[in-house]
Amino acid sequence: MISLYRPGTSLLHRMPAGPKLVVVAGLATAISLLPANPLLLAAVLVAVAGCYLLAGTGIAEAGRQLWRLRWVLLVVSLSQVFFLPVLAVAANVIRVGAVVLVANLITLTTRTDRLIDALERALRPLRKLGVNSDRVALMLSMTITTIPVIAGFAARIREAQRARGVTVSPFAAVVPLLVMALKHADDLADALVARGAD
Amino acid sequence: MSDHVIGFEHVSVRFARHTALRDVSVRLEQRRIAVIGSNGSGKSTFARTLNGLIVASEGEIRVHGIDPAREPKQVRQRVGFIFSNPDTQIIMPTVAEDVAFSLRRRGLPRAEIRDRVTAALNDFGLAAEADSPVHELSSGQKQLLALCAVLIGEPGLVVADEPTAYLDAANSRRIAGFLLDRMPQQLVLITHDLRLAARCDIALRFEGGRLSDQGEPGPVIARYEEDQEQP
Repeated sequence: MISLYRPGTSLLHRMPAGPKLVVVAGLATAISLLPANPLLLAAVLVAVAGCYLLAGTGIAEAGRQLWRLRWVLLVVSLSQVFFLPVLAVAANVIRVGAVVLVANLITLTTRTDRLIDALERALRPLRKLGVNSDRVALMLSMTITTIPVIAGFAARIREAQRARGVTVSPFAAVVPLLVMALKHADDLADALVARGAD
Repeated sequence: MSDHVIGFEHVSVRFARHTALRDVSVRLEQRRIAVIGSNGSGKSTFARTLNGLIVASEGEIRVHGIDPAREPKQVRQRVGFIFSNPDTQIIMPTVAEDVAFSLRRRGLPRAEIRDRVTAALNDFGLAAEADSPVHELSSGQKQLLALCAVLIGEPGLVVADEPTAYLDAANSRRIAGFLLDRMPQQLVLITHDLRLAARCDIALRFEGGRLSDQGEPGPVIARYEEDQEQP
């Protein structure tokens, strides 16, 4: 989500964000309900690879995405390997991997503003229930923007701990990280007001 | 009051535990206004009163004829604000989206927004980065983006609160060159870089919340440096 978008002109790039979200949600549901049949699972993998070719990113990109998921997939398999037959475990791992790969196709081929516009439109009918779709969309955008900033704070705290010769402890980093994140939230609120978003 | 005048009449700003501005009165018509002073002297509070981020506890402020306390929306359309850390003012995830964010309340057609954003990014040398995530930019590029996003809104006044604080020498020169020489808008530049202050048309010096000195930048800066050297 943070930096996945790859500019392009493929069929998937040209497809409007709303219908693309619906199709992907449908595909993800279908994949998760798929029976543990080796042929079907192989077909899913081929289909996902085909989608990546269709998106113009190549199968190598799918491989990179899978590599990033390696720890999640390992946890998924380890937590089941003692209780389920191998085929069922393999099916679950393939389902999780395929669903994430399909979902990533959205972020690979859709600009964030289009995605947020689509969500904003989808939320509009909820206005009657008091949901402000503009604000929800803005909040989503800001969350996406802020994650790397907070990650940067964490890196700075780790560096500061190392520079002082302190053993790097994730617990000792929590309080300064919270303080920095709250200060950032305060500054961001000022910026929102200054940029006329109130 | 004319279009490009900033007027303060006996303005004080009090917070719960301290007074940040004390009885400030000034009338400014120059294009480039430098604001100098020690840390905690009231410079940033002065800057934030200009677009209504901070409201005066006493006195009257007029920015280009607008009272920031009574007409906050109008003043924010008129006054663009640049913070020292661009990370705190970039709101959207990609470069083009963040510039477009400044136009979102203008009711412009999508195609016009796109054209204006493209033109602005070209002007600032950021066209190649249009679809890049903002966190992949360098600090200099981020500050350029912040400036671009402010100027696309066509403000009449740009307030920059230490805009070069996070930048290396080359990027500082670039941003300062834009603010001081290329930009047609009126500028209030809060800075610790006295060389930048010297390039302005007038310098204001704040100490302890008071406007302690003002006038031609050269003599104001000389007196400030003299005071700083005293133990």
